[in-house]
Amino acid sequence: MSWIREGELNLLEKIASNVLKAGPMPKHVAFIMDGNRRFARKKNMERQEGHMQGFNKLAETLRWCKQLNIPEVTVYAFSIENFKRSKEEVDGLLDLARQKFERLLDERENLEKHGVCIRVLGDLNMLPLDLQQLIAKAVLTTRTNNKCFLNVCFAYTSRYEITNAVREMAWGVEQGLIKASDVSEALLSECLYSNNSPNPDLLIRTSGEVRLSDFLLWQTSHSCLVFQSVLWPEYSFWNLCEAILQYQLNHKSIQKARDLHREEQALQQLEADRACVADLLQHQGNGKPADAKRRQEALQRYSVSREARVQDFLQALKQKRNNFFFDLYSEAVSA
Amino acid sequence: MALLYGLLWRLLLALLRIKRALVSWLRARLRNRSGSLWERVVAALLLPAALSTDSQKKLERSPVNGSRADSRRAQWLADGRALEKLPVHVGLMVAEEEPSFTDIANLVVWCMAVGVSYVSVYDHHGVFHKNNSRLQEEIVRQQQNLLGLDGSKYNVEFLSNGGDEHQHCVVSCRPTVKVLSPEDGKHSIVQAARKLCHSVENKERSSKDISVSMLDVMLRESKNITDPELVVKFGPVNSTLGFLPWHIRLTEFVSVPSHRNVSYEDLYGALQRYGVCQQRLGQ
Repeated sequence: MSWIREGELNLLEKIASNVLKAGPMPKHVAFIMDGNRRFARKKNMERQEGHMQGFNKLAETLRWCKQLNIPEVTVYAFSIENFKRSKEEVDGLLDLARQKFERLLDERENLEKHGVCIRVLGDLNMLPLDLQQLIAKAVLTTRTNNKCFLNVCFAYTSRYEITNAVREMAWGVEQGLIKASDVSEALLSECLYSNNSPNPDLLIRTSGEVRLSDFLLWQTSHSCLVFQSVLWPEYSFWNLCEAILQYQLNHKSIQKARDLHREEQALQQLEADRACVADLLQHQGNGKPADAKRRQEALQRYSVSREARVQDFLQALKQKRNNFFFDLYSEAVSA
Repeated sequence: MALLYGLLWRLLLALLRIKRALVSWLRARLRNRSGSLWERVVAALLLPAALSTDSQKKLERSPVNGSRADSRRAQWLADGRALEKLPVHVGLMVAEEEPSFTDIANLVVWCMAVGVSYVSVYDHHGVFHKNNSRLQEEIVRQQQNLLGLDGSKYNVEFLSNGGDEHQHCVVSCRPTVKVLSPEDGKHSIVQAARKLCHSVENKERSSKDISVSMLDVMLRESKNITDPELVVKFGPVNSTLGFLPWHIRLTEFVSVPSHRNVSYEDLYGALQRYGVCQQRLGQ
């Protein structure tokens, strides 16, 4: 089945959607699509069929998000922990992924028409090579689309993602691009797999479980969390509206908390810069304490040079990541 | 047309907020058992969860001593044993303005009485963190009130945020209380990252050596914080508000409408909810 489910909202759904759109709408929604296997058991189907239904529901949900003007969606498709499942189930899931990414390539014109950009986030080198190559093709093919964004977390856990970001910063230090003292919350965020996306405004988990299961732990620290008991393959437009309403009810207080956190972050950066500058002046100085004006100028210069270093490092990181996909793609093409 | 939708939206939100306020008002009234028949009927319609009719509820917060205290302690301990599983670390997350120290102290004491060995308290403004000693005093006072104990018998260890106590055994026999703030969240992760990058800068290790378990050990040991199995969130805000991002990967989140005048039943309900949840851990 297709990635794009064509269809229109019925009258009632259209009215509901217009009412919701009168209020603040999330620009990025994340889904933990839980409940495929329980759905399969409930309907006496094979597990694999449950996962297929789950994928169909994903396509339908993407259409609803588009119709609600939600431009970005992130989904938890396959966790690194899921490798612990039976070989049969893991192979089934990887095969489903192969099917879907191949289908994606077939539909590339349709995806371009709708402006859909697909990104895959995770430790992709844990996957079989042929799947990595398919993913690389899919990502590169839709790279220039920019109307809506679908981020698929595959072979992903948040802890691996954060650790990878730390490793990348350490690599930057090794390459002499940045200093260890440049490490900050903002820089870490830029090194995550999700660095091209704003943080999710809303995180929805279906099937009644009330945990995050190692999904976007860093990015959702100030997101609205909605836990719904419906099983993923049974998710409806009204369930989505309910979740968006929760977001709207919480919007002001979460915004306040986010702003508070941003202020604290800025203060911490300033403190860190000051400490570095004080260190520098001490080394350069002649024993006399520097006057306030000199300190201020030094601080200004230091911040600017730090920013420049960081930008160069991020460019290099971007290049490294693009090369990863290009190499896979050219391997696939030449094979 | 846009104006009409705008009005409808405002109406919808107002209705939801009224419903929420009504539900918490009714909950408070029913707890005091002074509600009229009409209030009970409306409550039954709006509150699908069964309401306990334990008449001891109101008395749970009143001071006791002697054998009365012993029997109450025994009851709470039995309650803990009756659960299928009890969390080792419970996080109390207050997502409300102007937190009440007495109510939080009560919650901490109840947690410990039921058998939870590690309790952390968090609010995203860092109010508890800034008034750490006040909270400690309040906990000691409530221990006296609720459990009828003097300080020495039921020792509580207050972990400070000094950060230098790496030799502490985290799962100690004495119940432990930890006060957390947003600094223990992302900021701690950044500090650990900076430390690792410094060691790379000093050629003490290579970037390829950095692993998940390395970072995990650093984050758990530096401030003696284990992963909470359960976080009880108080207040209407549906967000973790910066609470320990690294540590909450498998944490169950249970919401309680408010921490003000919270009852033992509210807490026990959350523990029961935790007791029946099934963690498949990816499988």
